[in-house]
Amino acid sequence: MNVNTMEYSATAKARPVSGKKPSIPVKCRQRNRFIPAFLIGVAVLSVLSLLYLEIDWLKMASRVGDIGLVFWDLAHLDFSNMDLIASSLVETISIAVLSLLYSLLLGIFFGMLAARNVFRLPWLSVLTQSFFTFLRAVPTPVWVLLMLVCLGMGPEAGVAGLCVHTTAFFTKSFAQSFESIPDETIEALEVTGASRLSIFMNAVLPAALSQIVAWAGMRLETNFSECAILGMVGAGGIGYVISNSLQGYDYGTAGVAILLVFLVAYGIERVFVRIKKKFY
Amino acid sequence: MEPILKFDNVSKHYPNGVHALKEVSFELCEGEFVSVIGPSGSGKSTLLRAINRLIPISGGTVWLDGQAVSALRGRNLRQLRRKVGMIFQNYNLVYSLSVLQNVLHGRLGYMNGVKGVFGLSSEDDKQEGLDLLEELGLADFAYNRASDLSGGQKQRVGIAPAIMQGPKLLLCDEPIASLDPSSAKTIMDLLRDMTQKRNIACIVNLHQLDVALKYSTRIIGLSKGEIVFDGRPEEMDDATIERIYGTSRENLMIGGERNDQTDSAHCA
Repeated sequence: MNVNTMEYSATAKARPVSGKKPSIPVKCRQRNRFIPAFLIGVAVLSVLSLLYLEIDWLKMASRVGDIGLVFWDLAHLDFSNMDLIASSLVETISIAVLSLLYSLLLGIFFGMLAARNVFRLPWLSVLTQSFFTFLRAVPTPVWVLLMLVCLGMGPEAGVAGLCVHTTAFFTKSFAQSFESIPDETIEALEVTGASRLSIFMNAVLPAALSQIVAWAGMRLETNFSECAILGMVGAGGIGYVISNSLQGYDYGTAGVAILLVFLVAYGIERVFVRIKKKFY
Repeated sequence: MEPILKFDNVSKHYPNGVHALKEVSFELCEGEFVSVIGPSGSGKSTLLRAINRLIPISGGTVWLDGQAVSALRGRNLRQLRRKVGMIFQNYNLVYSLSVLQNVLHGRLGYMNGVKGVFGLSSEDDKQEGLDLLEELGLADFAYNRASDLSGGQKQRVGIAPAIMQGPKLLLCDEPIASLDPSSAKTIMDLLRDMTQKRNIACIVNLHQLDVALKYSTRIIGLSKGEIVFDGRPEEMDDATIERIYGTSRENLMIGGERNDQTDSAHCA
């Protein structure tokens, strides 16, 4: 009896006594104050953005029906321009593959310079990392537009523009993969008297290869979809067909092109999932 | 006989204020099999890594085969390192490569330029690697991925590149700490037999006192960065063990036959 009352008083102290069955607290005693502050910040910023943009909600609401209409039109696939769509799709894939290939080689090279554990020269890593951070900060379409100015219209500009951003991306991610190789593995080759470059090629690179394949697969997917956008700024490929036929209200052709873009992107993903499984 | 390795008042201070080695001096000759024992943090690993300059020392001189190690840089250091093979507790293989490729890593220090960079081994080296795997009882695994092997097999592979270097001195950093008792015996037997056959001096860091007593020709006891014992296994008595580990013998798990009696006494 005595024990029971003691237990009751102990639990009662933790929460207010009331007629209803009290709920048992489940959260940590020390709450993280950052999350509420973050949510309030987001709310304030959303309100400010809405006020600044002066969105005409009434006009938007009246056009909502058109979304269904356009998709309905897109769904009426028109295969009459199939030869044009097919050739530009192949062109887009080629641009994506070529830019991936060049960037892979460049990324491995610059990733080697950027990784802190390969040459053990901090200034070299910092210099390479910061240079490619700058390249990465500028978005791909801007690089393609710049290359269009330099190299003229056409797929060359697409390849070059994509390469800049992809190489910058690979440099950072490969450097991280190289740095994740345990120091002891490198130490084990250091004691044989091997040079730094030979340690990199014979131990670090093979050990990081499966990660490199994973990054490459992810990036090929991204590059392919970006390629579709790049066509719209004049770098050739299927994006040009999509934007042209949309502007000409040729929704059937655009529908086929968009569907194919989706199918290819999905296919690339599936293929790389399988390759990755084999690698492990 | 000219010593292969000579420590002359070697000290090591880490930036965090730890004195890992305090004026350590000793010599090592061909054919010796030396165990270094001592509690964790007594400087065993630092001692081993000071020899091939994986850790630069702060004072004194390490002489290896007549050359002062601390004075060497770049190419000269790499050439000196070829004379010293090293075996690690965690094997440190490249697990995505084949067993034979891992074995051939021991020759990288001898391969110049393009050959070294792309790992293009000569046919002689490949044959030597295969023969070595045969000797280690791993001939069937030459073309398996290193990740497919068991712990004991991985450590056997770990010995191979060190031997491929054609070293004068073999350093083993707790080679059996992660192994089961049976694999541990295999590894210790291999280390003793292979170094004896090739006349390689060997230094082994150990936590297992019974193993040290059984295999070594000489034992060095380290405590807090100082050598407190340097002699033959027979000279090791309870007082020495207490001095090395800083606690009486009953508080140590030493293993082996010598301890069985006291263990059963405790049980009863």
